Amino acid sequence: MFSSSRSRSKMIRGGRNNITSAPAFSKDAKKLLLCTANSVSVYSVATGLKITSLEGHTATVTTVIVDLKSDDTFTYCWTSSLDGKIHLWEFSEPKLLKSFDTHLPIYSLVMIPSNVSRSLIAYVSVEDFSTVSKDLFAQIRRFILIDEPLPSGDILKEMEEPKPIVLSPSREFFGVCNNCIIHIWNASFGASEHLMPKETTLRHTQLITVFAFHPNQKILAAGDVTGRVLIWKDIGNGELTSVKSEDDPESSCTTFNWHSAEVTVLNFSSDGALLYSGVKEGVLVVWELDTRKKQLLPKIESPLLYFIFSSDPTLSSVICADNQIHLLKMPSMEILRTISGIKPRRLDPTGFLCYVRTMDICLIRTVSIDRSSGIAALCTANHRVQLYNLLNDHEVSEVQVCESNHHPDNDGVRVSLTAVALSRNGSVMATADARFAATNFSEGLVSLKFWVFVPDSKTFSLSTVIDQPHREAAITAIALNPTRSMAVSISSAGDFKIWVCNSDKNLTPEDSNWICHGVGSYKRTPITAAVFSWDGSCLALAAKTVITIWHPLKNELLYVVGKTNVPIMELSFARGGFLIAASHRFKRHLSVWDLMTFTLSWSYRLHVEAIATEADSPYFAVLTWLPESYRSAKSNEQIFRGKDGAILLFDGSGPKPVAIWTVMKARGGTLSFVEDGKKSQPLLAYVNRSHEYVLFDPYSDENLETSAIDHEAFLAAISKKRKRCKKKAMMLERPWETIFCGSTLNFPPYPDVCAAIFGSQMLKKVCESERVERQT
Amino acid sequence: MNLVNIRDVLTSFSPALDYLAISTGDGRIKIWDTVKGQVQTEFADIASTEETNIYTKVAKGHLSVDYTCMKWLSLERKKKRKLGTSVLVLGTGGGDVLALDVASGQLKWRISDCHPGGVNAVSSSARASCIYSGGADGMVCQIDPHSGNLIRKFKASTKAVSSLCVSPDGKILVTASAQLKTFYCSDLKKIQKFTGHPGGVRCVAFTEDGKYVLSSAAGERYIAVWKSDGAKKQSASCVLALEHPPVFVDSWGETNEKGLYVLAISEIGVCYFWYASNVEELCNAKPTKVALATEDSALKHHKGSLPIIFAAKLQGILNPGSAHAFIASGLLVKPSFQKMVLQFGTDLVLNASKDGILLPIAQVSKSSKGQGVQNRVITLDRAHAEDALLPIARVADLHEKLHSSDKDTDMVDQSQADHEETFSMEDKLRSLGILGGTDEQKNLTFASIIDGIDLEAYLPPKKLKSAVLSMEPSSAFKTLEALVAMWQTRACGGRHLLPWIYSITVNHSHYIVSQEPKNQQLLNTLLKITKSRGTALQQLLQISGRVQLVTAQINKAAGNQTQVTAHDHEIDESEDEEEDVEEHFYGENDNESDLSSDDGKDKDDSLMEM
Repeated sequence: MFSSSRSRSKMIRGGRNNITSAPAFSKDAKKLLLCTANSVSVYSVATGLKITSLEGHTATVTTVIVDLKSDDTFTYCWTSSLDGKIHLWEFSEPKLLKSFDTHLPIYSLVMIPSNVSRSLIAYVSVEDFSTVSKDLFAQIRRFILIDEPLPSGDILKEMEEPKPIVLSPSREFFGVCNNCIIHIWNASFGASEHLMPKETTLRHTQLITVFAFHPNQKILAAGDVTGRVLIWKDIGNGELTSVKSEDDPESSCTTFNWHSAEVTVLNFSSDGALLYSGVKEGVLVVWELDTRKKQLLPKIESPLLYFIFSSDPTLSSVICADNQIHLLKMPSMEILRTISGIKPRRLDPTGFLCYVRTMDICLIRTVSIDRSSGIAALCTANHRVQLYNLLNDHEVSEVQVCESNHHPDNDGVRVSLTAVALSRNGSVMATADARFAATNFSEGLVSLKFWVFVPDSKTFSLSTVIDQPHREAAITAIALNPTRSMAVSISSAGDFKIWVCNSDKNLTPEDSNWICHGVGSYKRTPITAAVFSWDGSCLALAAKTVITIWHPLKNELLYVVGKTNVPIMELSFARGGFLIAASHRFKRHLSVWDLMTFTLSWSYRLHVEAIATEADSPYFAVLTWLPESYRSAKSNEQIFRGKDGAILLFDGSGPKPVAIWTVMKARGGTLSFVEDGKKSQPLLAYVNRSHEYVLFDPYSDENLETSAIDHEAFLAAISKKRKRCKKKAMMLERPWETIFCGSTLNFPPYPDVCAAIFGSQMLKKVCESERVERQT
Repeated sequence: MNLVNIRDVLTSFSPALDYLAISTGDGRIKIWDTVKGQVQTEFADIASTEETNIYTKVAKGHLSVDYTCMKWLSLERKKKRKLGTSVLVLGTGGGDVLALDVASGQLKWRISDCHPGGVNAVSSSARASCIYSGGADGMVCQIDPHSGNLIRKFKASTKAVSSLCVSPDGKILVTASAQLKTFYCSDLKKIQKFTGHPGGVRCVAFTEDGKYVLSSAAGERYIAVWKSDGAKKQSASCVLALEHPPVFVDSWGETNEKGLYVLAISEIGVCYFWYASNVEELCNAKPTKVALATEDSALKHHKGSLPIIFAAKLQGILNPGSAHAFIASGLLVKPSFQKMVLQFGTDLVLNASKDGILLPIAQVSKSSKGQGVQNRVITLDRAHAEDALLPIARVADLHEKLHSSDKDTDMVDQSQADHEETFSMEDKLRSLGILGGTDEQKNLTFASIIDGIDLEAYLPPKKLKSAVLSMEPSSAFKTLEALVAMWQTRACGGRHLLPWIYSITVNHSHYIVSQEPKNQQLLNTLLKITKSRGTALQQLLQISGRVQLVTAQINKAAGNQTQVTAHDHEIDESEDEEEDVEEHFYGENDNESDLSSDDGKDKDDSLMEM
């Protein structure tokens, strides 16, 4: 996820994706092995705490298999990873025993002990792009793990995409499903080096999503996208037994038809009498194989991915798509413990994005980090906000923002959390959500909610709901005042509203409610970014391309700082009187304005995803996303090595970055400074698109000089054209001022009054900036 | 009152402060997740069942164990710097020392009968290179934390070692019975001896830099501070007094740079905090207290344990005089965890949560009702913008500010000033002169003057008089002015006003007369009004008298047919008449006083009454 161009300092990583592949229980059912990004984490079943982690892979671990053959004194496991390595570990005290390199990214692995020799046979699902002649890049290969270097292996099957290999509990069969077909091999025939295993094919009319082998009989169950569960009997006993379709009146295939959605989980009980099937909505059904009776099990709220059993019959584990692993007490399905990670972000319906995009604003801020406590508020898929402590890599609590809706597509209503903001001390949270009919994106029900932190339960309670704060327009961002109870919400409709909390002295914080303090707009231009200064005394708003500074209490326009030629999507105050403006998505822009003189200090052309500034230091960090064209350029390949973004640390005064780190999944990422209680210097927190994060100390490095040399090349690579200008912005003379001093209530409409005057000012500025561009 | 004595509660924070282990003396250890505020796991039967089997669970084995001390260490692995195991080291009353692997929930190692008679203290350095344990036999054992092997054992004291501590750098060990002794960890050579405590020392701690030792004996209401690099024998360099004996001491800070921070928890669950830049100043420092609010009525009647602060840890220094502290408070069954900033000199009172208390049903309903009120949500609809205080944005007047480059500070002051004042559209309009109406304005001022007088209510003359007499002459004069003006503008009925006017003119006549030259017009206007009204009244009275006469004659002419009803009528009429008379009386009285227009009579009246 992360690499540094400098020497590695102490980092806190977390928020890892726990659900890339099925976990595995240890033989004594006391430990659970979980693939977490580049490592395997070993959790204790009894306490739910992480015991240790197996570190050694350099890419995502895709499979973990506990070696059940080993005796009690040793606890071995095999892992495979996208880096092409197969590792053998002793996981009770983390030790790497053996390593094999296949040189191909492994997506799935099954291990079959060979009866002939003491060697092991591994069947792997790999991706090989060297065979450019065909479209079939994915292969099932057989490796005999004897010694290094491994031979290239025998190809059993070629497919379009790498698929997981499923091994039968008896280790007799393994198979892989490819669209509508399941390929099964009898492993016992492929035990020797020269004999290839025999292949059986099962065909179906629908796309097969999951399948499972019966523990002791030759029965196979398969689930498809329509929700049917098919059961084939007498599979693969020597000769090719292929079933044409489920309509075929052949006795070997029976169908369980109850689910209405895609089957995601299929599992036989260890004695083979029961079949568990689960679907996306979180429903688990248990079937009696002989009688075909079904029984619904208690619902788990999120989509299921895997369901595994342990050797202990009372213990099982279910892995949900929202990055949660539940340990279940078996007959009652009671959740014993939950290992929770950061929930993934909601995949926004494309319609909503389109709706927002038409307004020329495409910013949905769904991650907010409180810098004093290190708590991040992240919007999750089921309309909740998850509070996650970044310093401890620990979930705090969850807040349900809107009513949960398990069938978002069915009733035609789409709900989307559009913005979240945490106040500086973590006591107030503001959220904005929008509700749309599935077809009509123009009229949505938008509501703005203010929440108060309840320290005892470590969660937020709702304080105020404001319906339709900006009429139908969606709220694009909320900014909270760092020093007092004040917030500003901006919308695509062109107005902003300042909210204040009217908490009386004798009321508890829970009783306080928020009211509208002021309404304003700037020439009816959509406001695209808002930020309060660190002391909370002024508010910077970007009206598309114009940066304005307001007095939030008086609701007065103080200054018009300047005009850029792209819409500003991000604003931030930095120490030393700097205002940083940035744009992303469509336009590349990063500019630093000197507030003392109202001049543009310097600017870059960068896709900026996030800005992090600090209250008491002139340093600020910028997360940039680098388009494919830059990264693939020959000279830059060496620098990026698969990363798609960079964090640049500036010291405010000069355009030369102090430090640069390259990162992955930068698009949609967030950056913030976080105070660590033990250190005086704050850490920099980077949360990437898939909600993985890293905390590191941006200052604690000794070799600043060497890194600075790299920067020149790097900067040359990322910014083709660097603008740098020092121009004097003229102070605004205000002949129109008297208009507002009149005693009449009916002011002329704001844009009418100001258009001429502002227009003349802006024209001048546009000319200047154009001239500046020409100069460079 | 407290069912659980805080002295028997063992608490230990994990090094990263994300977990807290609590043992309340029943042999069970609860691990609380301080981030979520929930129980992560619970350990029982650790010491009794070493071979745990899922199928045969031995219950209640925990009751035979009593833990006497607890310390949470994180063992760093030297080879792999990733994820050192977290170990909870426990000493039992039976003399065993055992280590619990917290993550896996299993016993890591155990030394049986390490200290015959009971283990009293365990400690280790910050890097946890080795563990020291002290017991009732006066011995100190050095233990390897990874394997649980006894490295060496030596006699530290002839009496029982009641407490011990290793300096954070792991170089110096301090053992305590009644007297404190310091040793070099490397060769166990004795360095110093601190005497002065009368009994066994309960808690002993090093400062972060290892230069000072803090100690407190059981039952003592102070903490002694000793210099660890001074003379061989010395007395305490500083004594910190508390109101109750301390049970826990923690300290932080390098003395030469940031100052000295001491944190202690007393027996009744109050947290004390001291700060000074050096030891000499520390002697004079007054402690800052952090306590839980106890005035809650629901809790007062509750006969169970009270919410207390039972664990605290200094986390870091924010700036001189204030430090981050992590505090566990509330009830032991449901603690709440807070990270807070302790500012030296400002006492804190924390709100105690009622979670975890078993309250009687009535109280539960009450509290739930209270919660309902607390959780009320305000919903604003689309009309909220109309209520906005500043519905229209303006352009600021920046003439003065243009030349001041230090804009930010300027604005802070201004904004603070603005914060105080309230915004009123009316005031603004009035200041602009849009809203006119001077009459109203005067009316307002009248209202403010006669504030406190309920004109509408009928007061008996004596009360009225006493009320008027209680007024200051000047205020009475002002009131008179206001009343006259009101009468003139007919803001209020004469019936209500006249008794007051009368009473004031009678009782404060001297002052009014003295004010007359300045305010000629007041009495003149009064005179004018009364004259005009009086003349009108005379005629009105005549008319009413004649009408009465006519009606009486008509009634007589009607004869005695409706005798009874007539009689009734008469009664009614008489009642009416009485009322009329009363009115007339007041009126006449006014007339008298006003019409006479000579103050002499008023004076006479007042004299007579006096």
